[in-house]
Amino acid sequence: MEQTLSTLIFGVMAALLIGLSVVVVTSKSVFRGAIALTAALGVVAGLFAFLGADFVAAGQLLIYVGGIMIIMLFVIMLSQRPQDHLDRQTNEPWVWGALLALAVAGVLIMQFRAVYRGVFVTAAPMPTTASVGRLLLGDMVIPFEAVSLVLLAALVGAVYFGLEKGDQR
Amino acid sequence: MTLSLHHFLMLSAIIFGIGIYGALTRRNILGILMSIELMFNAANINLVAFNRFLHPSQVWGQGFVIFVMTLAAGEAVVGLSLVLAIYRNIKSVYTEKMNILHG
Repeated sequence: MEQTLSTLIFGVMAALLIGLSVVVVTSKSVFRGAIALTAALGVVAGLFAFLGADFVAAGQLLIYVGGIMIIMLFVIMLSQRPQDHLDRQTNEPWVWGALLALAVAGVLIMQFRAVYRGVFVTAAPMPTTASVGRLLLGDMVIPFEAVSLVLLAALVGAVYFGLEKGDQR
Repeated sequence: MTLSLHHFLMLSAIIFGIGIYGALTRRNILGILMSIELMFNAANINLVAFNRFLHPSQVWGQGFVIFVMTLAAGEAVVGLSLVLAIYRNIKSVYTEKMNILHG
């Protein structure tokens, strides 16, 4: 019974995620695509929670849905023109793109099916926040510091590129 | 039916394929950025699923997911400010208009 329930929940989340992702890449209005992407990232946070990764699920909501998507919506609203929704949104050789995407996804799916078919969960989910924190400041402390440098560089780069032309004092 | 690891991996492969399609076919550079975010998320689902199913007593996969999220945030911030700078110059967000370097 419990297995059926979790399979049902996974099926609903998978269908939602795939549908929202298709809307992201196909919708004519970029703004609608961004809203769909926000919802899709929320569903991914649900998948993380489903997989027992509570801290990562919360981080997904905070960073992606609350941070990245808000900036993206701002930029979309700042850079659209009224006639944009009349233009076509895909380039000419889109069939080749679709074929390549199908090929990559097909190969990946076949490999995953062949190799990881009967791997099941063995342990009950545990709270992970404390162990993630210990990992980040223990074994992963060097990449942790490196990523803080990268973030500083991104901050400076964003300010630099965001300056107006006559604004460079 | 019991959920197995390959269900999650197949879902992430499908999302990755959709992201590739969007990144290759979108004319709008913001659409391309959003498709790249989709691909990041497919990879993150993979990492968390492998962590949960193969190494349930450790959290290395989740640590990597946090780094991927951080770098995605940095990439989005720099990319979006570049988009705004380009838009101020050529008044367009379509990739085929961004050809002033092609001689």
